[in-house]
Amino acid sequence: MNPEPAPIQIPNDLNFIDPLDPLALGSGMSEADVVAADRARSRRERVIMWSARLAVFVLIFGGWQLFTAKSVGIVDPFFWGRPSGIVTALKNWFEHGTQFGSIWANILVTLKEAVLGFIFGVLAGMIAGIALGQSRFLSDVLNPYIKVVNAIPRIVLAALFTVAFGVGTESKIVTAGVLVFFGVFFNAYQGTREVDRNLIANARVLGAGRWQTNRHVVLPSAATWIIASLHVAFGFAIIGAVVGEVLGATQGLGLLIYSSMDTFQINGVFAGMALIAVIALTAEFLIAALEKRVLGWRPPSQTQSSGL
Amino acid sequence: MAAAAASDAQPQTGAHAAGVELRGATKRFVTPDGGAFTALRDFSLTIEPGQFCAVVGPTGCGKSTTLTLVSGLDRLSAGSVTVSGRPVSGITQGTSFMFQADALMPWKTVVANVMMGPLFHGLSKHEARARATDWLRRVGLAGFEDHHPHQLSGGMRKRVALAGALINEPSVLLMDEPFGALDVQTKAIMSNELLELWEQTKPTVIFVTHDLEEAIALADKVVVVTASPGTVKAVYDIDLPRPRGAVQEIRFGERFQELHHQIWGALREEVEHAYARTATAPGQEGLS
Repeated sequence: MNPEPAPIQIPNDLNFIDPLDPLALGSGMSEADVVAADRARSRRERVIMWSARLAVFVLIFGGWQLFTAKSVGIVDPFFWGRPSGIVTALKNWFEHGTQFGSIWANILVTLKEAVLGFIFGVLAGMIAGIALGQSRFLSDVLNPYIKVVNAIPRIVLAALFTVAFGVGTESKIVTAGVLVFFGVFFNAYQGTREVDRNLIANARVLGAGRWQTNRHVVLPSAATWIIASLHVAFGFAIIGAVVGEVLGATQGLGLLIYSSMDTFQINGVFAGMALIAVIALTAEFLIAALEKRVLGWRPPSQTQSSGL
Repeated sequence: MAAAAASDAQPQTGAHAAGVELRGATKRFVTPDGGAFTALRDFSLTIEPGQFCAVVGPTGCGKSTTLTLVSGLDRLSAGSVTVSGRPVSGITQGTSFMFQADALMPWKTVVANVMMGPLFHGLSKHEARARATDWLRRVGLAGFEDHHPHQLSGGMRKRVALAGALINEPSVLLMDEPFGALDVQTKAIMSNELLELWEQTKPTVIFVTHDLEEAIALADKVVVVTASPGTVKAVYDIDLPRPRGAVQEIRFGERFQELHHQIWGALREEVEHAYARTATAPGQEGLS
């Protein structure tokens, strides 16, 4: 004898409709209700996210400030710096200048090196990547050389360039450019190889020449890959500029950090780091804006997910 | 090749339809594992200027290869292809190609996609845009100029592709199962519109499909291709009067049924042949 199927238990809480739950759609909510509920939910999520961000900031810097206090004495501010000391160091730089001239002049030097290196590196990386991505012969010939150069810790090249180009800005621009080049190159190469063959065939049949095919099909198609690499590439540009300055320079944030380190002014090292962080964040913001402009055609689901 | 020498001096661009002739066309590919594969063997076919020719055959029989050979995207291994008397070398001037998959640039707006052809032919941006806007109106997409392809339905994307192909006023229009991915209703609508647009300018059309009903409803001539390596098995003239009217209705006519019955007889053998091969291939390998 088959056992009787047990009656389905209806949980009591099914009667409760969470207005913020998008799955509660079927339970008597009008379209306007659904939209309003979704807005309220995303607003609430944003508030929570920003509060959490603030909490993390307070936790890190408050904790740092607290643990380095003389009365607490767990962490030695001589080695680890102190948030209040960093602010003082920054204030000092902006009000009284540094030992290598005004702070703005130093920021400008580093910015110039990083930006010029970035531009040269991106252009060279794009051109080389697209050229090699389209020519099997070229990529076959150059493949081992690129692998060898890529395997060299490229920071070592900074030493070489400092000797070759001197302590001026040129050596830093070259170092930054080389670092940027490889990041962009590999992405441009890959992006070019992944271009839809159908699109190229279509453009050719429509009458496009080689240059027009590149301009209308290959470049926009590889743009997704290239722009993804730019986020990392600007970081590389700053690394190149700062490392170059540490190795030998007359001005720049890297030099400020190096000389602070030399005189055991740890707060100065952190102050330099803070300025670099501001530059990097600004650049990231600009690149994100560029990405939105160039890749605005993509369906929203893809662009939304790029939280980081 | 000798026959091709008797070419006329007619310009190939513009709305003049061009005759297409394949003579003993053979195409061999090297497969990824290093073997050789013959897609087409000794394929001979003559299409008169302005004729709508449908090519049907089982899956993988090489019927799409005929299109890449005529367009000049691919080169022959043997034989000859001529378009309006001239042997094909490089991209054939005056052809347009409608691909099976969407070949729209996803980063370009609808109007920018359609205006590519005129732009590549040296028209100014302004002029190209004006012509593209006009063509979008003709395919019923006025008002969608600034949309991106991903914002359109499958049928609308096909209209954009159709406008982009016709805007160059091709003398030969090559279509590779262009409506294969559409649902039945949309496919019928698109077929009607294709016929309407074709009757306005009458380019030569080679329409590759595996749908025999579609082929008979649209074409003047249906070519049945054998299972791979593809070669012409039989050619049928479709004597249904033009203009044909609604594609959905014409298939119930008596003459249509007759033609369908007749051609299907030839096609079925090839389809069964091709199917049997794919179905038994792994088993045979296992036995031997």
